[in-house]
Amino acid sequence: MHGVRRVRQSQQALEAKKLKEKAKIEEYLALTNDVISRRKNKDLSQDALRLTSRLLQVNPEFYTIWNYRRTIFLDGIFPNSSPEEINTYISDDLSSTMTALKAHPKVYWIWNHRRWCLENTPHGPGSETEGDPNGWKKTNWDKELYVVEKMLDIDPRNFHAWNYRRYVLASMAVKRSEKSELAYTSRKIEANISNFSAWHQRSKERASLLFPPNDVEVNDVCSGEDPELLKSEISAIQELLDEQPDSKCA
Amino acid sequence: MGHKDALDREEMIDFVMSCWDDEAGAFGAHPDHDAHIHSTLSAIQILVTHDALDRIDIPRVVKCVFAGDSFGEIDTRFTYIAVNALSLLGQLHVLDGEPKERTVNYIVRCRNFDGGFGSIIGAESHAGQVFVCVAALAILDRMDVVDIETLGWWLCERQLPNGGLNGRPEKLEDVCYSFWVLSAMSILDKIPWIDADQLSQFILSAQDLEGGGIADRPGDMVDVFHTHFGVAGLSLLGYPGLVDLDPVYCMPAHVIEARGLRKPWKALERRQA
Repeated sequence: MHGVRRVRQSQQALEAKKLKEKAKIEEYLALTNDVISRRKNKDLSQDALRLTSRLLQVNPEFYTIWNYRRTIFLDGIFPNSSPEEINTYISDDLSSTMTALKAHPKVYWIWNHRRWCLENTPHGPGSETEGDPNGWKKTNWDKELYVVEKMLDIDPRNFHAWNYRRYVLASMAVKRSEKSELAYTSRKIEANISNFSAWHQRSKERASLLFPPNDVEVNDVCSGEDPELLKSEISAIQELLDEQPDSKCA
Repeated sequence: MGHKDALDREEMIDFVMSCWDDEAGAFGAHPDHDAHIHSTLSAIQILVTHDALDRIDIPRVVKCVFAGDSFGEIDTRFTYIAVNALSLLGQLHVLDGEPKERTVNYIVRCRNFDGGFGSIIGAESHAGQVFVCVAALAILDRMDVVDIETLGWWLCERQLPNGGLNGRPEKLEDVCYSFWVLSAMSILDKIPWIDADQLSQFILSAQDLEGGGIADRPGDMVDVFHTHFGVAGLSLLGYPGLVDLDPVYCMPAHVIEARGLRKPWKALERRQA
C-alpha cells in the first residue's frame, strides 16, 4: 500500500488487531446495509442524508453513496427547501468535504462532490431587481480558490488540486488576471524549484499570454510573437538554473 | 503468471454477474453499487479472459459505455476505458466517423509540450495518463498524433538512480509505474531506452519474501494493485516464466490475439530461467 511500512507482528499481536478490527467492521457493515436498503427503497429523507454523511466519513471511496446523497438532495430535499436553506446545505457539504479532503487528498469522489456543490449553489441572496443575485455563488467560488491553495500548501504536487485549481479559475464569476496566476506559480517555484506542477501551470499561462486565445496551437510556445516576454522568461530560468543546476524541471 | 484456474471460474463469473446494475445496464464495483465505467471494463475483462461474454447483454452495455456516468465526470482514463471495452466487445465500429474524430481530438488537446498527456485539457503529463492515452490511440489506429521521440524521451527519464520509475518529474519511484511507463514504451517500441536489469531488480526488491506479493517500494506493505503491475512490468521486461502481457489491454497476449485485436507493440524477449 502506498507509503505504508511493512511490519512483522507476532501471532498474538495479529489476533488482537483482528479482534479490534472485527467490531469496527461489523459496525461499518451494519451501516452500509442500512444505507443500501434505504437507497433501494428510494428513501429520500433527512435520516437517510445523515446516514450517508456517516458512511462517507468512514469510506469516502464509496461512489454509490455520493450519488445517493446527491439524489436525496435533488429529488427529496431541495424541492421543499427555500434558496437560503439550499445554500446552507451546500455550504455545509463544502465544509465537511474540506475536512474529508485533508484526510484523503487524492480521492476523486470528494473533489467531484465539491464541483457539484459549486455548480448547484442557488441564485441569491439578492434578486434580479434588488441586491446581488449571484452573491452566494461568488462567495463560494472565491472561497474555493483559498481552499485549493490550502491543499497545494499541504502537497504542492497534488495533481487533483492543480486540475481543480484550473477548473476554479476558469469558472469564477470574476476572473483573475493571467498575470496573477503567473505570480502564484512564481511563488510556488521559488518555494521549490523542483515543483514541476507549477512549471507546467506556468507553461500554460505563459502560452495564453503569448498568444491570443484560439490563435495558435498552445504547445508551440517557442514561436512566440512577444520576444520580450519570452526573453524575460528565459533569463529567469537561467538565474534559477545557476542557483540549482541539478533540477530536472527548469 | 499462467495460473488462470487458481480462482474458481464459475464462482468468479457468478460474482461478476451479481454486480450487474440492471437499471443502468452496466456493472458496479460490488452487488448493489451503482454502475460505473471502471467496474464495467473490469467485468468485461474477466468475462473475456474466461470466455464468458455470452453472459452479458452487449447492446445494453454498449449504450451505457457510450453515455458515461450520470454526474458527468470527464477524464482520459474514461476515454481509454470506453475504447477498450468497445474493442473487447467487438463493437468498436460504433465510433466510426465523427465520434472517433471527437475522441482523438480530445486526447490531442490533453497533449503537453513534453509529449505526454494529462487527465483533462490543461492537466500536467502523468505516466498513468500517458498509458491510457497512448493505448486508446493504439486501439483506434491513430498513433500518428503521438510525438513518439519526445514522449519516448520523457518516459525513459522516469527512471531514477535506484532503477525504479516515477510517474512525473521529481517524484518518488513506485512499482505501479513499471507498468504505466513500460506499457506506453512498448507501444512506442522504446523499451530499450531504459535500464531493464535495474528496473527488474527494483521490482523484485519490493517483494514480501515471506508473505508473498509486491509493494509500491521496498519495505512497504504489499497489495494486489502493486503485485499486478509489478508482475505486468516484469513480463514486459522478459522475466523468465511469465506469460506474455499485451500492454495495450493489460491482459494476457494470447487472449487478445485470439480475438484478433493485437496492435503493434514490442516487449523484451522472454529470457530462460
